[in-house]
Amino acid sequence: MNLNDDIKKPIIKAIFYFTLCFTSTVALAENDSGVEEEHDEGHIELTQEQIKHAGISLSQVGSGNIRETLPVYGVIKSNAEQVQSVSARFEGVIRSVNKKIGDHVRKGEMLVTVEANQSLKTYSVLSTLNGVITQRNANIGEQTTNKALFVVEDFSTVWVDLSLFPKDVSKVKLGQSVRIKSANNPTPGEGSIFYIAPLGNSNNQSTIARVLLNNADNLWKPGFFINAEIILSETAASTVIQSEAVQLVEGQTIIFVQGEEGFEPRAITLGRTDGESSEVLSGLNAGETYVTKNSFVLKSEMGKEDAEHGH
Amino acid sequence: MIDKLIKLSIARRWLVMFFVLVVGALGIWNYQKLPIDAVPDITNVQVQINTGAPGYSPLEVEQRITYLVELAITGLPYVESTRSLSRYALSQVTVVFEKGTDIYFARNLINERLQQAKSDMPSGIEPVMGPVATGLGEIFHYAVHADENALQPNGEKYDATALRTLQDWVIRPQLRLVSGVTEINTIGGFEKEFHITPDPSRLLMYDLSFDDLVEAIEKNNANVGAGYIEKNGEQYLIRAPGQVADIAAIQQVIVAHKDGIPITIADVADVGFGKQLRTGAATRDGEETVLGTAVMLLGGNSRSVSEAVSAKLVEINKTLPKGITAEPVYNRTVLVDKTIATVQKNLLEGAVLVVVVLLVMLGNVRAALLTAMVIPLSMLMLMTGMVQTKVSANLMSLGALDFGLIVDGAVIIVENCILRLAGRQHHLGRILNLDERFQTVFSATREVFTPSLISVLVVILVNLPILALTGVEGKMFTPMAMAVIIALLSALVLSLTFVPAAVALLLSGHIEEKDNMIVRQSKRAYTPILAWVLKFRLGVLTGAILFIIAVGALTTKMGTEFIPNLDEGDIAIQALRIPGTSLTQSLDMQFKLERAVLEIPEVKTYFSRVGTAEVASDPMGPNISDGYVMLKNRADWPNPDKSKAQLLDELQQKLALIPGNAFEISQPIQLRFNELISGVRSDLGIKIYGDDLDQLLTSGTEIAAVLNGIEGAEGVKVEQVSGLPILSVEANRPALYRYGLNVADVQDVLAAATGGEEAGLVFEGDRRFTIVVRVAEKIRNDLRALERLPIPLPQGGYVPLNEVATLTLAPGPNQISRENGKRRLVVSANVRGRDLGGFVADVQAQIEQQVTLPPGYWLEYGGTFEQLQSATERLSLLVPVTLVMIFALLMMTFGSAKDAALVFSGVPLALTGGVIALWLRDIPLSITAGVGFITLCGVSVLTGVMMVSAFRDRLKQGDDINTSIQQGAILRLRPILMVALVAALGFLPMALNTSTGAEVQRPLATVVIGGIISSTLLTLLVLPGLYLMAYRKPKSMTENDEDQLAS
Repeated sequence: MNLNDDIKKPIIKAIFYFTLCFTSTVALAENDSGVEEEHDEGHIELTQEQIKHAGISLSQVGSGNIRETLPVYGVIKSNAEQVQSVSARFEGVIRSVNKKIGDHVRKGEMLVTVEANQSLKTYSVLSTLNGVITQRNANIGEQTTNKALFVVEDFSTVWVDLSLFPKDVSKVKLGQSVRIKSANNPTPGEGSIFYIAPLGNSNNQSTIARVLLNNADNLWKPGFFINAEIILSETAASTVIQSEAVQLVEGQTIIFVQGEEGFEPRAITLGRTDGESSEVLSGLNAGETYVTKNSFVLKSEMGKEDAEHGH
Repeated sequence: MIDKLIKLSIARRWLVMFFVLVVGALGIWNYQKLPIDAVPDITNVQVQINTGAPGYSPLEVEQRITYLVELAITGLPYVESTRSLSRYALSQVTVVFEKGTDIYFARNLINERLQQAKSDMPSGIEPVMGPVATGLGEIFHYAVHADENALQPNGEKYDATALRTLQDWVIRPQLRLVSGVTEINTIGGFEKEFHITPDPSRLLMYDLSFDDLVEAIEKNNANVGAGYIEKNGEQYLIRAPGQVADIAAIQQVIVAHKDGIPITIADVADVGFGKQLRTGAATRDGEETVLGTAVMLLGGNSRSVSEAVSAKLVEINKTLPKGITAEPVYNRTVLVDKTIATVQKNLLEGAVLVVVVLLVMLGNVRAALLTAMVIPLSMLMLMTGMVQTKVSANLMSLGALDFGLIVDGAVIIVENCILRLAGRQHHLGRILNLDERFQTVFSATREVFTPSLISVLVVILVNLPILALTGVEGKMFTPMAMAVIIALLSALVLSLTFVPAAVALLLSGHIEEKDNMIVRQSKRAYTPILAWVLKFRLGVLTGAILFIIAVGALTTKMGTEFIPNLDEGDIAIQALRIPGTSLTQSLDMQFKLERAVLEIPEVKTYFSRVGTAEVASDPMGPNISDGYVMLKNRADWPNPDKSKAQLLDELQQKLALIPGNAFEISQPIQLRFNELISGVRSDLGIKIYGDDLDQLLTSGTEIAAVLNGIEGAEGVKVEQVSGLPILSVEANRPALYRYGLNVADVQDVLAAATGGEEAGLVFEGDRRFTIVVRVAEKIRNDLRALERLPIPLPQGGYVPLNEVATLTLAPGPNQISRENGKRRLVVSANVRGRDLGGFVADVQAQIEQQVTLPPGYWLEYGGTFEQLQSATERLSLLVPVTLVMIFALLMMTFGSAKDAALVFSGVPLALTGGVIALWLRDIPLSITAGVGFITLCGVSVLTGVMMVSAFRDRLKQGDDINTSIQQGAILRLRPILMVALVAALGFLPMALNTSTGAEVQRPLATVVIGGIISSTLLTLLVLPGLYLMAYRKPKSMTENDEDQLAS
């Protein structure tokens, strides 16, 4: 019957579409990818609470001193200008010896008495500087011949020979101050460069910069190795930031500046730095507020939309 | 044959009962063995090859390890694909085998090849295969925790290193032995190491190098066996112990002899316990912790394994030092038990309701109970079937079971038997003798057997397209379809054998066949309505069709989802930070997150894995953390009625407080699943293969730009491959010439200084700890100090590192992905509001036009669109075939296309009720809802066949069409109402339950309840009218008849 067919067809069609419909839920079943959050490129807005939780601290761009330093290794040497090798003026027999190794002597103090071979007079040999006996080649009854009877060294100052490598040579100038640290001396020493060797060492391509170091405590023992920091320059700069504020983003050096709408990443050019603070050459004005501690959190906040876990 | 079977069952009823008992017992036994998990496992047959390469950057890992591993496994049989990942210190190659490959065979093949590859790798690098486990293998997590005042034997507090040592040497070796556990994976804490941290300036003083230190330790840290001597008839073994035992012993090792003075390690270096360079860490409630994970062997029973692990852990805890506990923080059993409890509760309550319905409707206790027996029996048979066919039991496969349909067959058979037995008794006016009874039972069974057979066959047919699904979808839903089919077949067999046998056995005495109040009332109400609908059949029909169209339109507006999310009870939070985030920074941010989340009173504990664990089954960078938020029992919540959504809201608010993190909130198992199927889960993935990483990225960006310009593209993403900050120390060759140095001299010093060099082991009883020579953290982390690192010169003296090498900081590759032996970059996109096929074709054309790849680079198009296409193709073939088969089935039954079409016409209206029920409850369309619709097809065909065959019987007996319809409809009112009530009430607990796992079953139950109502209405109201229209002879249908009908 027509009517039947007319009824049947749409019904069968309906069944067909319906079954398709629910089987297509099988096929279409798919993970909804999370809705990408639109993020205003450039600004990071944080509430006070978020700032507190992130441990972000702020600081103002101001002026400051940049102390550029150069770490080097060195060795302590005796001050060659303060070494006296004492010998007898007239050859003779040593009649008395007053000092032994390690004794402190004052300038003018008697070291030995010698009976001259020719005059048979006994004369005294005196120290010409204040120092310590480091060598003694004199015993009673010996001939003085030509040998040095005593070596007196003054350790109140020592030399520090710093090894300079080719890259650093040009940076180091006479008169630059140097801070010297050693494992055996808790207080660092300070001195300044008074000599830069004109010759190089072909073995390790280094040359020497010399510092005169006060050694009143006698804790700087010649022969010891030390670490030193040459202060290359200490200059005032008008825009100085703390180095921990700096982050690298896509090859650019940036810091986060607090603006009206939140924190804004700002590309800057850095000048001199001493590790703790850095001079900003461009991109920042004095007086602006920037993020110091936990600036990484902001970098992470900025880039988190792209963070993914790929396999 | 069926006749014979029924006759045999009735004749040998005791035997049948015995068999049923045996089958039941078998089912119980199999139930014990059945591996039950919460969700189906979607992992493919794969083997992971992990190679740890401490200190290696991604590029070096790829060059020196990954490539070799890939080369070794090329050409293995049954390999479907390989992919690899090279990250800092880790190479992971995943080999995917064809479906059905034996995993142990595959591992053997790989093992053989790896042996060869190993010889080409840098010394000390050892590729190992990942555990024999699936993505669902992580069944148990525990955290090792120390009390505030717990002290180590040496009087110090337990720190992360001490806890890790306990985990590595006390807890882990014991847990590893638990049967079913393949691996105990550890993350967190520090492996104890003895660190010799030389001071570069002190080394200079004595003109020593790092190598001298390593050599000194190696020469002074060995035991030697020296054979034996015989003395006075006895044999003395000789040994010369020389191992260092502690820090003091290491300090005294002589490094050199200068001017008669021995120089010991203590002179040039500090010796102490140090921290390894970790790739991952674990946190809990804002503190570092040590986290152990029990990984279950492939094919294990997660419930029994995690129970065993849990029991073992209790034992181990007794042996741990005072104040130390290994506390379970995640136990899969909890979830599985909860879901099983939910399923059981639903089934039990449903069964009780079914019995009540049967009692009320049949008015016979024995009949009601024997019908209800079919439910547990077919469930037990299902258990046996599932064990035999290795179908996994889980919330999806068990939860989708629909026992309404299971008992339907039995219900109509029992109902008809009672009807006939009572009729016969009434007719004969006495209690039937045995033969008569059997005869009646047989004929009654036979009479209504066809409809129940048809309905079962229809459901099986409708399930077939599901079985044809492949991939993840297939793994998810095949077990479910299989379970439904097995259960129905079991029920069918039972209703052929057990039901007639039991009826013959039990319904012996006087059978009262009388309609009770409800049935009587229904019949009384139904008669006039039937007359009315028959009179206005055209209007009713039009109304029905309009209704179907309206509902069809409604479906397009409804949301869809893959499967309803199983509420696992706990929450997983994946926190992502930008690549390059250091572990320390990442931990710091994680601590803050955890402290913030802990402020929510419902949270019990929050633990996380940051970075990669010891066994790198999930290689995450240190910038990513997988966190698990475990909730308290609802009873302990301040407001036990708080909804999960509300809690998630609060959680998100807390998380938002901590800037710098991106989050993905899911659930523990879900998270693992998403990881397993990630990467290829986008609709379209364009893979670019080539050599140069920069070129790949350039081309990738170009392609992404093209994609973004194409209509329908959404979420276009270029795989994140770069962005890891790298400090390159590049040797300056001219400078090296001047100093007479080799590149390796510089590299070795750098590697030893920052990466560290292993110098041997310290043994403490069974435990062994590495001795590492490495410069102090202070120097390692200070770029300026590194620049000055002294490099010893062959002729004596030293030169600072920056004299002979350039140090540059620049972002480098974060990870290098390869697929099938070639470097690869993926650009992925999803499609919205457009057909996928057209989109892909458009993309291909546009890319061809606009993007030129350099020679040696090529593209491949992949992603779910492939699966979707193949699934759509398969379904568009299978669905019509299925429909035709159903139709053919009905035609075979009735021998009439008209009747078949009439029954068939019931299906759409049956479905409308389901859709409306879903819509009313605001539940989106999903696969489980789809299963409900499948069930509905069966129910509606069942009732339709019953109705139509009743009409036909009457017609055959010679009644005229109107009487046939009226009488037939009234006769079938009771069984139809019963079937409907059984199915609807049986599902009621499932639809209303709110406990764990209920959300997966809720759509199914909702659909069935809603659909049953509409289906019943249709069968009772529309079908008679349709039948009348189909069979009305124009002549016999006079005005008079109509009036007669109306009266």
